[in-house]
Amino acid sequence: MSSSNSIHSSAMKFAVKAWSNGRARAGVLHLDCCPTPIDTPSLLLSTRKGLPLFISPDLLPSLPSPDSHLLHVSPLHFLEGLSMTTISKIGGLHQMLGLHEYGFAAVPRDSIQCLPEANSTNKVGASFETPCGRLLIKPAEYMEMISSLRPELWATLADEVPAWVSDKRNKTSVDRTIKWLDECIALSPTGGAVFGAIVGGSSLEERQRCAQEVARRNVSGYWVGGFGLGETMDERPALLNAVTVSNLTHIFWQK
Amino acid sequence: MALRFEVLGRFNHARAAQLTLPHFVCQTPLFMPVGTQGTIKGLTTNQLEEIGCQIILGNTYHLALRPTSELIDELGGLHKFMNWPRALLTDSGGFQMVSLLHLADITEKGVTFQSPVDGKQMLLTPEESIQIQNRIGADIIMALDDVVKTTITGPRIEEAMYRTLRWMDRCIAAHKRPHEQNLFGIVQGGLDPVLRDICVRGLVDRNLPGYAIGGLAGGEDKDSFWRVVAQCTAALPEDKPRYVMGVGYPLDVVVCSALGADMYDCVYPTRTARFGTALVPEGVLKLKQRAMAEDTRPIDPTCACMVCKNYTRAYIHSLVAKDAMGSQLLSYHNLYYMMQLSRNLHSSMVQGRFPEFVCSFLQKMFPKGDVPEWVCNAMEVAGIDISLCCAPFPSTQD
Repeated sequence: MSSSNSIHSSAMKFAVKAWSNGRARAGVLHLDCCPTPIDTPSLLLSTRKGLPLFISPDLLPSLPSPDSHLLHVSPLHFLEGLSMTTISKIGGLHQMLGLHEYGFAAVPRDSIQCLPEANSTNKVGASFETPCGRLLIKPAEYMEMISSLRPELWATLADEVPAWVSDKRNKTSVDRTIKWLDECIALSPTGGAVFGAIVGGSSLEERQRCAQEVARRNVSGYWVGGFGLGETMDERPALLNAVTVSNLTHIFWQK
Repeated sequence: MALRFEVLGRFNHARAAQLTLPHFVCQTPLFMPVGTQGTIKGLTTNQLEEIGCQIILGNTYHLALRPTSELIDELGGLHKFMNWPRALLTDSGGFQMVSLLHLADITEKGVTFQSPVDGKQMLLTPEESIQIQNRIGADIIMALDDVVKTTITGPRIEEAMYRTLRWMDRCIAAHKRPHEQNLFGIVQGGLDPVLRDICVRGLVDRNLPGYAIGGLAGGEDKDSFWRVVAQCTAALPEDKPRYVMGVGYPLDVVVCSALGADMYDCVYPTRTARFGTALVPEGVLKLKQRAMAEDTRPIDPTCACMVCKNYTRAYIHSLVAKDAMGSQLLSYHNLYYMMQLSRNLHSSMVQGRFPEFVCSFLQKMFPKGDVPEWVCNAMEVAGIDISLCCAPFPSTQD
């Protein structure tokens, strides 16, 4: 069936430990910064400006380890009140947050306050509705943020559209996402693991097309986006199924 | 009496002591954070233990409203309810009633007010206050006093002082747990030394486990403030704790300690944190200022707390007033600061270097030597030589 069962990048190693009778698999994720490996499937803790909501860093060890060592970070949070220059000066996420034994996964969308605004997204960049207003993020700007923050893994910039857009708009979102994928890869800093973004809305064909294109690029994993934007619960398994291809060994998806 | 008070070190009026309470052995001088509704906003009880907090104050008024003292009693008392293993102090409920409720009316019976819950007329008597506090179960409970603002003048102050003494007797009679809870009396009398003296003597006659100095921290000028504290500490018994209510600015804590006080409480450190202000040796640091956005230093380079060890001013700036974590981290730092101040006061007295500590404290806060006159006057009465940290008076220059 598959080729390699493990993936390397300088900060991340992933290996599948066991397969179920179907597609499900148990894996283990090694991050240089984390003292213990993380079992997958794994849930990421959501954060606000890098810190989990309401749980201050000294209380984090009271959560079960290693299950709570993967944190989701939205680079967009830092656009409010903290410049990328200052973040670089401080030394990136680990230094800034005082969390050295935690892994950070950067994805622009946080599903609470920073939401993709498909109507305003254009060929130049992805638009998001955020607490500091509507922002248009270009791939170059996004990569500047990633270079300053230095997360362990990060998703490329995507054009996420809700389930009710026209086929034409949906197709455009896939074209754009692939284009931005290449631009992000070209600007990627050393050290972080690139997760190629896969979109395609509610279309099985577009989902497949996007996945195939992303699989051709040299990425360490895949971020499956565009869910939680109007598709039904019933549609989701088929769409996810269309995305998993034989040589995809690491996926992380977000609702 | 359910406490022991042992002086371990002195400098003139100032003293460091060990205060043994039913739930904890404390070291004074000490600052007590205010945990209004059975919690300190933004911190867990574990964190409070870690930063060295010894006693927490609970507000009887708020707890009696929610979740009610009966429920707290049923669940085993406030210690168990809020999972705090160390000491607790509850106030009488009188102050909130007067400060929060416009329609409060004070009569000989007690404080009548309109319930904020349903508008019904209610009455808080000395007996009721003590009963509520008996149910809550704190190590130290406060008598219901007739509080007046120090900015008021006239016969009302005298009336309030004598009523406080009469209510003290009613509180003592109503107190059902004197072997587990220490009932402190509160000295009133406004800014009038004669009235204060009568009140002190009246309370001392009743041989209470400890005494509080009330009616201050309400807008009176600083010079009047320290003089009242000085007068009271001079007249109160040496071998019992003295608690100055509502005092929380670090400078005020240092001055009152020099004058012989042992315990303090105030919402200031946590409240100011929620507005983005950090306590530092130089005074305060306003994290909301634009200049903080690029400042990669810690809040206080000399502070050993978790916040100062891990975070830059720039990062905290990005959080304050926008994200709850900003309030949490600043509250943590500010309380740590107050705990460290308490520890420094205690150890400097025990180690015989209290005047040096006071000078060093004032030098950091007033590097130009512009120590306020009221502080100089108070230190003179306290017998502490701070001439090295005061700039010469303008008339002697140029």
